[in-house]
Amino acid sequence: MSAIAVDRLSHVYAGAEGGVPALEDITIGVEAGKFVVIVGPSGCGKTSLLMMLAGLRHQTEGTILCAGKPISEPDPERVGVVFQEASLFPWLTALDNVEFPLALRGAPRDDRRRRAEEMLSLVGLDGFGGRYPHELSGGMKQRVSIARGLVQDPPVLLMDEPFAALDEQTRMTMGHELLRIWSTTRKTVVFITHSLTEAVYLADEVLVMSARPGRIIDRIEVTLPRPRTYEMMATDTFGQLRERIWQQIRKAP
Amino acid sequence: MSQAQIVAFRLALLAAVAAAWQLLPSSGIVDARLLPPLGDVLAMLGQLLGRSQVHEAIVVTASEVVLAFVIAVPLGAAIGVLAAENEYFGEIFKPMLFYVFSVPKSIFLPMFILIFGIGFQQKVAYAAFSTVFIVIMSATAAVESVKADHVLVARSCGATRTQILLRIYVPSMMPVLLETLRISMIFNFTGVMIAEMYASRTGIGHLIANWGENFQMPQLFAGVILLATVAILFNEVVRHLEARFSTWRT
Repeated sequence: MSAIAVDRLSHVYAGAEGGVPALEDITIGVEAGKFVVIVGPSGCGKTSLLMMLAGLRHQTEGTILCAGKPISEPDPERVGVVFQEASLFPWLTALDNVEFPLALRGAPRDDRRRRAEEMLSLVGLDGFGGRYPHELSGGMKQRVSIARGLVQDPPVLLMDEPFAALDEQTRMTMGHELLRIWSTTRKTVVFITHSLTEAVYLADEVLVMSARPGRIIDRIEVTLPRPRTYEMMATDTFGQLRERIWQQIRKAP
Repeated sequence: MSQAQIVAFRLALLAAVAAAWQLLPSSGIVDARLLPPLGDVLAMLGQLLGRSQVHEAIVVTASEVVLAFVIAVPLGAAIGVLAAENEYFGEIFKPMLFYVFSVPKSIFLPMFILIFGIGFQQKVAYAAFSTVFIVIMSATAAVESVKADHVLVARSCGATRTQILLRIYVPSMMPVLLETLRISMIFNFTGVMIAEMYASRTGIGHLIANWGENFQMPQLFAGVILLATVAILFNEVVRHLEARFSTWRT
């Protein structure tokens, strides 16, 4: 059974002159423990698709199954979400931000504190729990976001351009860190990005989407061995994969 | 400049003003009938605070201020939140609220006297009326300061509507709300004072207006010092709370 199964999903936005088709006939199967990256031109509906996987938006047609059960509303125990920058609550400390999903469920204070501290330590932020978001760097904030996404131990983690606002160096480091975290937790990850390099570096499989209405126009298996290293970026295989994705995106109307 | 130096300068400035207030009239440079020396004014303030007539006036004014505040703030906050959250209500009423907000409220005072007569109710009604619009405006701004992204994150964590209200809306709005409390108190206090000075039989505003008309300058200045002290104290207490709840605001 796949961790995520999207079957013939389509979405039409209500508009002034009839509906605007946003997503068309999307079928995706993601095996448990895989790292899947979705790339596509701006406005192709990749974020909409992710919102639907998270149960935050409803598609007009088609089904989404997560571990065999349909997703119809947010379920943080099955699916964790990491958003773009600035999604931390600025009035809470890093630790309280990570605890937030547990606090909503009314988990005992000691348990959730211990769990949140474990998560902060997993993302490499030991000792930063008491800091407020404005006291953290961009990369650190996204580490906290990842910790928050993982705190309920969901089998699936959705990530919507989590490193888009970071500078190039931090972005590379964070990608590497994410792979380390992923390899210790073995989550199923669906990751959205604009960066082709990031896509190839992180993914087991890259899904390429067309411009609106968004369709899956290519699936590219990334055969590079793991653990990935920065040196691999200079290899021919890496370049060829990146080139193939680029050609697909460029072709997309 | 260090913090200690700044405080020292401020205290020095205060002392200079106090000294000038004492020395200029007593040395005859300024007419002591218009500006009585500070010492005389403070002595008068002490005397006034011992009079039962003044006690009564303080109680009346304080009750008017508190009651008008307790009516205007929740009412204005409810209307403001509704205007920001409910599309239709907002569309219909927002322009009207803005129009009325721009009109000086004191021109409505005669109507309040006609409706309520001269008395406690009229003061409270007028002060609440002159306060409610600023509360509506600020409450609308407070709701708009809630970030859609934060609500989305909370929903993705499985938050219910009540949890979103308590854990996202309230903390997001808290700094603006406290600021609103502070500013609306200024409007509210002003409303009560205007109403009391315009037509009244009791209250501090009434006493101040009387003293002014009768050229009782020490009493007048003592009244001003009393009111200024109370207003500044309230403002500073809320400002202190504001600072505590907005450390995260950058």
